[in-house]
Amino acid sequence: MLKNYLVITLRNLLRNKVYTAINLVGLAVGIASCLLIFLFLQHELSYDESFKDADRIYRVTSTVQKGDQTIETAAAIGPLAQLLPQEYPEVESATVLINMGQNAIRTDEQAFYTDNIIYADSNIFSVLDFPFIVGNPSTALKAPASIVLTSELAGKLFGSLEAALGKPVKYIASTFLVTGVIDQTAPSHINPGAILPLHFDAQTEYYVTDWNGIGGYTYLKLHKKEHAAPLQEKIADLYDRKATPGQSLAGITGATFQLQNITDAYLDKEKEAPVGEVGNITYIYIFGVIAGFLLLIASINYINLATARSAKRAKEVGMRKAIGASRAQVIQQFLLESVLLAIVASLLALMLVELTLPLFNTVTGKTIDSVLILSSELGMALLVIVLFIGIVAGSYPAFFLSRFSSAEVLKSNQTPKSGNALLRKGLVVAQFTISLVLITGTIVVYDQMMHVRNTDLGFDKEQVVAISIPSIGWVKQKENLAAIKQEFRRLPQVVLTTNAQQLPGEGAVKGDYLLEQNNRLVKKSINTISVGYEYLDLMGMKLSAGRNYSKDIRTDEQFRYILNEAAVKELGWSDAIDKRIKPTWADTANGTVIGVVKDFNYTSLHSKIEPLVIQLDPHFGKLVVRLEANTPLAATLSDMEDIWRKYFPGYPMDYSFLDESFHQQYQAEEKMLTIFTFFALLTIVIACMGLFGLASYMAEQRTKEIGIRKVLGGSVTDIVVLLTGNFATLVVIAIVLAVPVAWYAMDTWLQNFAYRTELSWWQFVAAGMGALAIALLTVSYQALKAATTDPVKALRAE
Amino acid sequence: MNKELLIETKQLQKKYVTDTVETTALAGVDLQIAKGEFVAIMGPSGCGKSTLLNILGLLDSPSAGSFKFLGQDITHASERQRAKIRKQNLGFVFQSFNLIDELTVEENIGLPLAYLGVSKAETEKRVTEAMERMGIAHRRNHFPQQLSGGQQQRAAIARATVSSPSLILADEPTGNLDSVHGREVMALLTELNEAGTTVVMVTHSPSDAEYAHRIVNLFDGQIVTENLNVRKHAAELL
Repeated sequence: MLKNYLVITLRNLLRNKVYTAINLVGLAVGIASCLLIFLFLQHELSYDESFKDADRIYRVTSTVQKGDQTIETAAAIGPLAQLLPQEYPEVESATVLINMGQNAIRTDEQAFYTDNIIYADSNIFSVLDFPFIVGNPSTALKAPASIVLTSELAGKLFGSLEAALGKPVKYIASTFLVTGVIDQTAPSHINPGAILPLHFDAQTEYYVTDWNGIGGYTYLKLHKKEHAAPLQEKIADLYDRKATPGQSLAGITGATFQLQNITDAYLDKEKEAPVGEVGNITYIYIFGVIAGFLLLIASINYINLATARSAKRAKEVGMRKAIGASRAQVIQQFLLESVLLAIVASLLALMLVELTLPLFNTVTGKTIDSVLILSSELGMALLVIVLFIGIVAGSYPAFFLSRFSSAEVLKSNQTPKSGNALLRKGLVVAQFTISLVLITGTIVVYDQMMHVRNTDLGFDKEQVVAISIPSIGWVKQKENLAAIKQEFRRLPQVVLTTNAQQLPGEGAVKGDYLLEQNNRLVKKSINTISVGYEYLDLMGMKLSAGRNYSKDIRTDEQFRYILNEAAVKELGWSDAIDKRIKPTWADTANGTVIGVVKDFNYTSLHSKIEPLVIQLDPHFGKLVVRLEANTPLAATLSDMEDIWRKYFPGYPMDYSFLDESFHQQYQAEEKMLTIFTFFALLTIVIACMGLFGLASYMAEQRTKEIGIRKVLGGSVTDIVVLLTGNFATLVVIAIVLAVPVAWYAMDTWLQNFAYRTELSWWQFVAAGMGALAIALLTVSYQALKAATTDPVKALRAE
Repeated sequence: MNKELLIETKQLQKKYVTDTVETTALAGVDLQIAKGEFVAIMGPSGCGKSTLLNILGLLDSPSAGSFKFLGQDITHASERQRAKIRKQNLGFVFQSFNLIDELTVEENIGLPLAYLGVSKAETEKRVTEAMERMGIAHRRNHFPQQLSGGQQQRAAIARATVSSPSLILADEPTGNLDSVHGREVMALLTELNEAGTTVVMVTHSPSDAEYAHRIVNLFDGQIVTENLNVRKHAAELL
């Protein structure tokens, strides 16, 4: 019997090619999207899972009080890692690490800028067992001049991983010997580029010895995970005993600590100062919902087409029942049919996923190799999807078709009703509502991205190149920066040069100041950037009061500040010039404000412009160059590199364009736009495919009616209008339903931006008209075909 | 009548109710059919012939009256019970053949055996026999649409008889056939009847009715006359 069902299913699928194609393509795309989302989710949830005993490894995070300010941070008080295993036997081992960010790792031949350079104590590998390809984890960081590389970096530097062991590499001004190479492929939120011993550098010592400052990232391995909760209390006690908040340079007045399982660290985006990578679960939710929608739309196609063409299957059902098939057997048959279709669709989907993996990896930044060798998880996911479609989409047609009574359908020439037309209409409305919400979403996201691009940022981001200065010891760095600034300036294509520690888009650091307010000094924490003399001019920023920094005024390098208008406003100053301001740590009496700059966006357009202090530091930070408009870039950069090599031989010139790097902040949104556009188009295409199939069955069913109408004098236009009118009504209803949903969703999304485009009627009209036009185009093909059929033929067919 | 009764109905009624109109299709039919009989049901369009046949074939249930099949009262039998009786005892032949387009001749004929759970080897044997009996064995792998009307009806008869039912219900079996193929089909039905199968046939055609032992005339949902086919009986007596 099973064979009989399979045979009839396959023959039905082969015979009705359009029907089969619509269902298979729709379902395959829906399933493929779900699989991609599943892969993405699986990857995001796999962070740090590969550490041995990950379930009992914890990160110590802190809730820090600075006066009335509360800060959640991923770091903790430095000395904890050393003390905890001594004080509390439940702690098996502990380690502390700090992230020194990006820098060059070099040999005599070449240099590579490497992200997430980690300094760690020698216990790190007993807590976090990064897999060693070569080297011994227990001794790798014991010697002060040792370094552990990732296999990627070691490969680039030395060609083979074995060759790397024992070789010298240079970092900043020192030489280190490679003591190990780790495999970095398993995803970890720490995502180290290279690991060095914490204690080689006296400057970083205070990170791990100061009880009054938030220092390194602390990781613990406990004997049992049940120990975690009580240990939190003990750490709080320990802190209370050891810390003296009054002496905190960072202004910390109190702190509590949490033990967070390491596998939760990656997706925790609430904590400030994350170690390496942070995921964003929101996007997973959004894409998950979209993939679900696609699957739903494809399932609706199946339901609609299966019931619409039920008349064709009615005779078969009647005959089977007459022969003695029970209703249950008929239901079984049709469910099997839908499951079979879903299986074929999922095989197609697997191929689709395989083909789109490179694109998927590019968009998501993941590295998933292949799906054709099914992992057990993916296999399970696929099975669940197949059963879901087979049963959810298959059950209505199955129950509907099995209801036909033999007595009725076997009487010759009687075609039974093709299912519940109202239900089918409702489902079409649902499909188009979903499509419309996505299309409107796409338009709004696009509009917002344009708005972001065109908003006046308060500075000119075009033609600005920023170049990282390698850390080669601060004296040399300072000398070289000063010299290269001058030499670049002499290039004809260069307008101005300066330096800055933070560029727009890179945010600012918090500085603690004492400021004059009502004739007394109050303490405030304000965003601060450190820049060179020419910074404001180079960036095209305008002063609204006072003066810019000047090389002629020798005192400008000592506690002279320029504030933005937002800061002046918040401080309530009517005239900011010569107001007193000084850092809390400085022992000086003569800090003053010399100028006020018009507000500019120094973070992103997500947030309002907050108060900002600009301080002068002409010696450090990135080298910033403004080029003439319409400069031939390749030639200019090559000129610059010639000069660069004189000062920083062996270091690549690591440059970026400000307009591009500023836009990096909207990468998440840009990605979302790409994905939104893609899926919105897919949903409308799949919905229209369903509509196409439906329209063809409608036209077929109404052949006789159309014939009679034409015989009675109906024109082709009349008939096309008649046939398309029904569908147009459905799309219009969908528009009415979609508008409030889309409005609410996109309004919520736009709240993420301090500077946002307005939702306007044209976005909704454009989406609605677009969908209507596509739907009508789809249906009118079938309508026209039906309307131009010879009426005599249509009537004789009866 | 000394033979065992296969079908016995008493005051069988069937009413169809649509939104506002109540139509009486059968208005009290008393009918007895013995095992081995060949009965033709005749009457004008709308007299209730097909309704009666559907009820006799357990495809439909009566609104009132009683219906015994092989002595068992099945007036109120559930759909499940009726499906069981159908597959064990009944074979259907329709005017429009009602072969399943997506199945080959062989698969169509084998379908009743599949629902009966007959083994594969046995199915193959019985299907081959049935096809040979109907002279369509050379068409076994063809789809219904590749066959002539006469061949399709023979395939349908093969399907109706493959499970050796005790009763064959034929609804205008020659209605879509030319006279040559029509006579062929009637000869087959007669042959089956002579081999012991009871046949009940609805027909418009007096010449087809001539093949039956007994002709029941229906009008407005009631039996108006019930005639023994004298010629047939005479032939049998000889």
